[in-house]
Amino acid sequence: MKTNTMSYKCKQFLMFAGVTTFMFTAVVIVPFLYGIYLTLTSWDGVSKDKPFVGLANYVATFADGAYWQAMGRTFLYSIIAVVLVNVVAFILAFLVTSGVKGQNFFRAGFFIPNLIGGIVLGYIWKFVFNRAFVALGTALSIGPLSTSWLATTGGAMLCLIIVSVWQYAGYMMLIYVAGFMSVSDDVLEAARIDGCTNTQSIVYVSVPLMVSSFVQCLFLTVTRCFMVYDVNLSLTNGEPFNSSVMAAMHVYNQAFTYKNFGVGQAEALILFVVCAVVGVLQVYVGKKAEVSA
Amino acid sequence: MNTNEQAARNKKINHAIKIIILIALFVCFVFPFILVVINVFKTKADITSDPLALVGAHGFTMANFPEAMKKMNFGRSFLNSAFITICSTVLTILFASMTAFVIVRNNWKACGALLGMMIASMVIPFQVLMIPMVSLYGGVLGILNHRATLIFMHVGFSLSMATFMFHGSIKTNVPVALEEAATIDGCTRWQTYWMIVFPLLKSTIATVAIIDAMGFWNDYLLPSLVLAKKELYTIPIATQVFYGTYSTDIGLVMAALLLAMLPILILYVLLQRYIVEGVTSGAVK
Amino acid sequence: MKKKLLAVTLVAAMTASLAACGSADSTGGDTGAQNSGDGVSITIFNSKIEVQAQFEEMAKEYSETTGVNVEVYYSNDTVAAHLATKYSSNDPYTLSMVDAKDVYSLAEDHAIDLSSEKWVENTNYALSVNGKVVGFPVCVEARGLIYNADAIEAITGETFNPDDYVTLDAFQGLLEKLVAGGMETPTGIMKEDWSLAGHFLSEVYETQDDVDGFITSLHEGSADLANNPRWNARMDYFDTMMKYNYAAASAIAAEREVSEQKLAEGEIAFMFGGNWDWSMINAYDYSEHMGIMPVPENTSDGTNKKLVGGGSKYFFIDSSDNTSEEQRQAAKDFLNWLVFDEAGNSFLTEKCALVPAYSNIGAAGLDPLSVSVKSYADAGNLIDNYNYLPDDHFSLCGAAFQKYLAGQTDRAGLAAAVEDYWSSTTPVEH
Repeated sequence: MKTNTMSYKCKQFLMFAGVTTFMFTAVVIVPFLYGIYLTLTSWDGVSKDKPFVGLANYVATFADGAYWQAMGRTFLYSIIAVVLVNVVAFILAFLVTSGVKGQNFFRAGFFIPNLIGGIVLGYIWKFVFNRAFVALGTALSIGPLSTSWLATTGGAMLCLIIVSVWQYAGYMMLIYVAGFMSVSDDVLEAARIDGCTNTQSIVYVSVPLMVSSFVQCLFLTVTRCFMVYDVNLSLTNGEPFNSSVMAAMHVYNQAFTYKNFGVGQAEALILFVVCAVVGVLQVYVGKKAEVSA
Repeated sequence: MNTNEQAARNKKINHAIKIIILIALFVCFVFPFILVVINVFKTKADITSDPLALVGAHGFTMANFPEAMKKMNFGRSFLNSAFITICSTVLTILFASMTAFVIVRNNWKACGALLGMMIASMVIPFQVLMIPMVSLYGGVLGILNHRATLIFMHVGFSLSMATFMFHGSIKTNVPVALEEAATIDGCTRWQTYWMIVFPLLKSTIATVAIIDAMGFWNDYLLPSLVLAKKELYTIPIATQVFYGTYSTDIGLVMAALLLAMLPILILYVLLQRYIVEGVTSGAVK
Repeated sequence: MKKKLLAVTLVAAMTASLAACGSADSTGGDTGAQNSGDGVSITIFNSKIEVQAQFEEMAKEYSETTGVNVEVYYSNDTVAAHLATKYSSNDPYTLSMVDAKDVYSLAEDHAIDLSSEKWVENTNYALSVNGKVVGFPVCVEARGLIYNADAIEAITGETFNPDDYVTLDAFQGLLEKLVAGGMETPTGIMKEDWSLAGHFLSEVYETQDDVDGFITSLHEGSADLANNPRWNARMDYFDTMMKYNYAAASAIAAEREVSEQKLAEGEIAFMFGGNWDWSMINAYDYSEHMGIMPVPENTSDGTNKKLVGGGSKYFFIDSSDNTSEEQRQAAKDFLNWLVFDEAGNSFLTEKCALVPAYSNIGAAGLDPLSVSVKSYADAGNLIDNYNYLPDDHFSLCGAAFQKYLAGQTDRAGLAAAVEDYWSSTTPVEH
């Protein structure tokens, strides 16, 4: 059988990837293209006609101050959350691979938050911040705890970050655990003989060998943080005074609550482009680091 | 001798510190669950007035569970969720692993293009696709309100991430030499894949299975768009009446959460070892 | 060839499994429909979460007695977003219950003309678009100051009569008395944007002599809020409420559930709200002696003797090809059943505790707040709702109002923010 003819290639590709290509195209690509078309109309989401307006929605997007504010806020939130998630996850991974008793139990425990869906998770945490912490703070008269953090602009942001760290750290921990385990004991032993302390061997030996774990975790956390919606909705709902509205929530409100469907769709598309650029850049830089390490 | 003893003592102290930090962090991680378990046995009035009390002023109550079960039609929703989750997960694993195989082993343009598009699609906000999707599948094709449609969409959306994960694992964990040996023995590519490659992917399969199953089980937005008939409701849609803009019945939310979590938790405990191994080994490229 | 066969078999197997999924649910769906008898099936979208359970129960009974299969749905998405997805997917509800502003945006394309229905003559609250009646009012709702008379009387020792406290001065005196008597913080404020801007701020417009003219002047930037007597009267009242607010320390963290519980159980005595709040209050150990009174103001223009409200929630019937004539007729019959059938009446007033919007329906078994609303409505003391606020009004002005509640801006700042909002938004045509 010849393996370099076009028909062989086609058959092979269709046999293995045909169904996938079809489903992926049908579910993601086609709606996506139709979605791009909708950004060129001034549809309100419910009426029958979809008047074509060209690029007017993109002009409106650039003029929408609240959108860019939300975008800036999302950037800020993402940077802090991404760093914290990865730091916490890394520390957790280090602790649960350092040979302490019951480390499998701990690994499982830290993973548990991943078992709950986003909307419910936000409501539970809202309950924790608004009621449980306040009750605790009042009972023990701890000043900063006795009023809800969700009531201040900085506090609401902090709460979002805390919940994100709580939600993602366990998952990222597992990827770092894999990274730690892939660093072979021989290398660490050699470093120890050369006089490295524990900390030194982590910084100079383990970390450089774990670059691919970092790249993977960063890509996952960056993209998830950028598109945060569920938790945003159920935890803060944008309050107080719309100061915690993230980009995805603004897009949703624009499209459905304010009924500017075309503008909302255009804004979502720009959010996608930003996400993609940040994601690709970050993977690209990571790959470079991987090579040089 | 002295230094050895000191080293041993240092090590012990070190160990103790690690354990303490771990326990402290652990408490932070499970704190919300502890609260849920405490409050689910209280009346709404007691939850509101004293969320930290172990037993409310109105006493211990189990009432949240039967009420939540009745309001969300638990049996039916549970079966719907289970059926959809299992079918979607199995199909995702089959299609994604096959696709990843052909992409890894062939340097064709189509393969690169498909993988590139899939990776890019992982950052599309769902809001972009929502209305176009219902317009096409409901408005043009008229095939909403079928479990099969939801399964089709679940699979379509999750293929990207799954293919991406299988891609990494086939690249690193499956030696080409093995396949070559099989080809020499007269296996077709198809046979080679099912007999040699697929069995080697166990840990990644476990990873994808748990991640996707959790995602499908907990998904709200997509099922709420596709399944608009009561008898098709999954657990997350069935519980939506418990919370909203104007009120949140936190007792019922908690009961529903525990009920919905239970099957996944049991699965998780059973598969714990595979999952922890699975997620970790799948991550190594 | 062998591999081809295998491939075909596998694909066939998968298609079969998919098809099996498909057939499994289509049979499930079919039997569901057949069990209900040979009658028509209609779907109802309910957007009033507090009566969802009652609606489902009613649907069952209605199906049994009439043979018309009724399914009731609810969504915790916003009404507009949910209906947008339903219309996009060509799967609309036969009957949808929505807010007035949704009727205005949906009716032209999606609602049928109900002008010739019999119930039109029995109500003052039906909604019309382009001269045709399209919206069936579900109930009457009104906003005002909710009070807990038991809590007040326990401290003052006198019978509480809301008519004695129409002026802010009198009201303030009462609050002082309550504080002196041990109720340190007698008021609560809902911090939600829909309450602050959607309900409270909108009353500043609604109580103007010429509401449309005032809104136009806001759009044109010629309205001077800071010197508007209605604005100042309302804000004076609001400042008083803020001063005695139980959650003054972190007013914008006050949770609605907690506030309603305190009000129900008499820990606080006053909170601005509407008769729909009863569905929250009745989850707690409430006292029966509650009611709604007009917002106290030092004014002589009479607004401090009236509540603001009117028809609330409207049914419209889908006009698209996805709904058959039989279904439309069944939907019309259902609306008539609500108004003219005893069982329908008792469903509205006794089961759902809604204040009826129809003159022929008596109201027994109403909750205390609805009793208040009905007495004001019957006496003609309701100021009309203004239904043409832009969709983002509650959110953007609500955010500004929350800042005021949090003490981050003063009255002039809030007035400026509201004026800014109006001058940068496009008017809603009507």
